[in-house]
Amino acid sequence: MGITIKLFSSLREVLGESEFEFSLTELDSAVTVAAVKSALSQRGASWQEALNQPNLVHALNHKVVYTDAVVAAGDELAFFPPMTGG
Amino acid sequence: MTVSIQREPIDVASEYAQLVGPQPDAAVATFTGYVRDHSDAHAVSQLELEHYPEMAQKVLMALGERAADQFGLSRWRIVHRYGLLDVAETIVWVGAVAEHRGEAISASELMMDTLKTDAPFWKREQGPDGHVWVASKAVDQHRRARWRSEEKA
Repeated sequence: MGITIKLFSSLREVLGESEFEFSLTELDSAVTVAAVKSALSQRGASWQEALNQPNLVHALNHKVVYTDAVVAAGDELAFFPPMTGG
Repeated sequence: MTVSIQREPIDVASEYAQLVGPQPDAAVATFTGYVRDHSDAHAVSQLELEHYPEMAQKVLMALGERAADQFGLSRWRIVHRYGLLDVAETIVWVGAVAEHRGEAISASELMMDTLKTDAPFWKREQGPDGHVWVASKAVDQHRRARWRSEEKA
């Protein structure tokens, strides 16, 4: 199952990536945002730390979601710190 | 009505004239935000605004439409900058047109309070010790929360 991951702001900077395709091999009928975070956290300590910061925001197809949201093939999942516009 | 997410400075006079049109409704409220030369902790020489373009467009449209619904606006507009901004440059402009001042002012406030915490923009300040990402402020979260009780489930 392939999805697009996007990172913004300090996460993009710390992890050195802004956008990439990601495949979940352990294909399940209900892959959640939490499962994607946990799979990405395997990439190393910096990923583990960045993706588990307390105020991390998750946006699935441009809508903010909780970590129990279900991800489907072709989705766009973004991670970023709290927004500071305006 | 419309949203603009742009790199160029905001032409406030032109935005106002376009919002109001040839025959204004009874009440027009606008807000303009500018880059300050300081933060709580240090001097600021420049501000960089990163954004998530597709999501920012959708969020700003949705919150403008919400304000229009809730306060019966006849016209509204939201303009937000991105990229590198100098001190005293415009960052954001919102405008709301309604029949009465209460609705126009409240709608502008709703748009600004919601935009601050819900629209995917991130500020990075250039200060004396380099670049610093701006942290989300408790006061912004509190102002946002005032509108939450009125949201539909």
